[in-house]
Amino acid sequence: MRLSYIVHELQHRSSRTLINILGIAVGIGLFVSINAVATGYQRAASLPFANLGADLIVQQAEKNQQLGQGGLSMRGIKLPFSNQVLSAEQWSTLRTIDGVAATSGALLLWEFLPGGFRTVMGVDLAQPDLGPVRLGQWLSQGHLPAQPGEAVMEKHYAKFRGVRLGDGLEIGGNPFKIVGLLEVREGAQVAAANIYLQLADAQALLGGAPAPLNVAYLRLRDPAEQQRIEQEIVKASPGLSVSSSDTFMELMGGVSMISGQFALVASVVSLLGAILLILKSMAASLVERAPEIGVLKAVGWTRRDIQAQLLGEAMVQCGLGGLLGLGLGYAGAFLVGTLSLSIATPWALNPLPAAAKIDELTGQVIQLPIRFSWELLTISLGIVATTGGIAALAMGRAAAKMRPADIFRKL
Amino acid sequence: MALVEAKELKKTYLAGDIPVEAIRGVSFSIPPASFVSFIGPSGSGKSTLLNMIGCLDPPTAGVLTVAGQDVSRMNARESAKFRGTHIGFIFQDFNLIPVLTVFENIEYPLLMVQNWPVQERKERVNTLLAAVGMQEQGYKYPHQISGGQKQRVAVARALVTRAELVLADEPTANLDRETALHIITLMKAMRDEFGTTFIFSTHDPKIVRNAETVFTLEDGQLAASKTEGGFHG
Repeated sequence: MRLSYIVHELQHRSSRTLINILGIAVGIGLFVSINAVATGYQRAASLPFANLGADLIVQQAEKNQQLGQGGLSMRGIKLPFSNQVLSAEQWSTLRTIDGVAATSGALLLWEFLPGGFRTVMGVDLAQPDLGPVRLGQWLSQGHLPAQPGEAVMEKHYAKFRGVRLGDGLEIGGNPFKIVGLLEVREGAQVAAANIYLQLADAQALLGGAPAPLNVAYLRLRDPAEQQRIEQEIVKASPGLSVSSSDTFMELMGGVSMISGQFALVASVVSLLGAILLILKSMAASLVERAPEIGVLKAVGWTRRDIQAQLLGEAMVQCGLGGLLGLGLGYAGAFLVGTLSLSIATPWALNPLPAAAKIDELTGQVIQLPIRFSWELLTISLGIVATTGGIAALAMGRAAAKMRPADIFRKL
Repeated sequence: MALVEAKELKKTYLAGDIPVEAIRGVSFSIPPASFVSFIGPSGSGKSTLLNMIGCLDPPTAGVLTVAGQDVSRMNARESAKFRGTHIGFIFQDFNLIPVLTVFENIEYPLLMVQNWPVQERKERVNTLLAAVGMQEQGYKYPHQISGGQKQRVAVARALVTRAELVLADEPTANLDRETALHIITLMKAMRDEFGTTFIFSTHDPKIVRNAETVFTLEDGQLAASKTEGGFHG
């Protein structure tokens, strides 16, 4: 009957109960949706890197010297302005910085043709879990280059050029055979190219320095150390530019940048609002119910019984409000998640020449990746329990101080 | 052996910083199965005395024994437990729990205080409902019954735990004459049936006429007592 008494009490004061439940639901709903959207933004920003298995991408911009390019002619194989060849010393620095767990290199090239241009990327196949080689997960046909002279073509480019699996083509005057077609997805356009070759083939196309590489992919032992390692790289080799998911966050605009802090502030406000609402409501209820509490104490209820009753009432309201809030919060977050989000590529990571205005390759439109999170669910339920607990504790203390003799004297 | 025995009972309140002596050295003895009334003008200390007998308010000095136990030194938890098993209460404003039905209002001391088994509980509540003539009204809520019916429910609630002592503070003050008479008759019948002692604080002459012992309080002191044999000043 304790539960029945709780239910009766809440039903009897249905308007107040409904306001409490809705108040808590709005608080929790805001908390859940804001956090889910904020996490979605962070996840979207980290997608380009997550898909490559990397935490950092290191490059070196042009310094008025173009290795192997033979002057300023805009014909044939060229190095992108943002991707000059990294020296052996720079590679050594990257590999030896404390906190770097793995490194992988790639060689990104531009090929200027009489009718246009294309991007060619040499991929290090020896590191199957780091770098552009991971794009192999999106092969729609064929396989990654297994031998010299084999190439994989980006699916849309192949369609545009009318190229099919098994066709041959010339790159930098050398014959290649298309052995696979792939589609670059989910924000991985930082490693997007029209054609992927074995690293050695790409290096041979560029010529010049032995085994040149112009993009370094770094995986860290602890991603939390990202900032320190970025600083160490730039300090050790000032010409290098380091990109991370933060670089994307900056490009994704104000909302994503402040979302973490905003989520925290909004969460605290929601929590305080919910606590204040239920405290105020229960305090008013306590005044109304003074005679009832007096009688309950008179017939033998102890302070603990009263506290248990109030805790039960608070928990039922918080529980219902919390569940409703979770539903509302996730519904809102998934609704926001259906909206498209454009992930622009920072200049340094853009694989195309600045003159190219091909948005499909330089930026990518994705849906905000909203995911159900057990962590968020647990925190929300924790907030609900805290809210109910605080309200019940405060009211329980107030009720415990009410002496039946005083209550009856005032009636 | 007396059911209630008070020796030199005193109660002093603080009204702000000023001590107010509400009860000033009262002694009396009430045997089991009595029908007793405390009368006196407002502020004479009737309710204070009832609160002390009911373990709702501890005395400042003196000794108070109820059902063989010294209740004057009990802590809050012991008092609550003692009230739950030995004492029933009837209030001027009925004080039924508005969200519970008549049946549940009578039942809850058994369930929420004494934890009786379901079947025994139902039988006991039905017995009391029948005893107070409310067996057809068990499903109703307090707002659906009259004042007299509410007080009948309150009587049943006070008796449901087989309390040896029922304290009634102005139980007929909010009832019309006829209903009040019915309630008094009912309580006396309950006393006869269950052997329960009823102690009232009242101004109601109908109760006073029916009481077997009447204690008159003036300024916190016993001015007189009357048993069916006559007054003792």
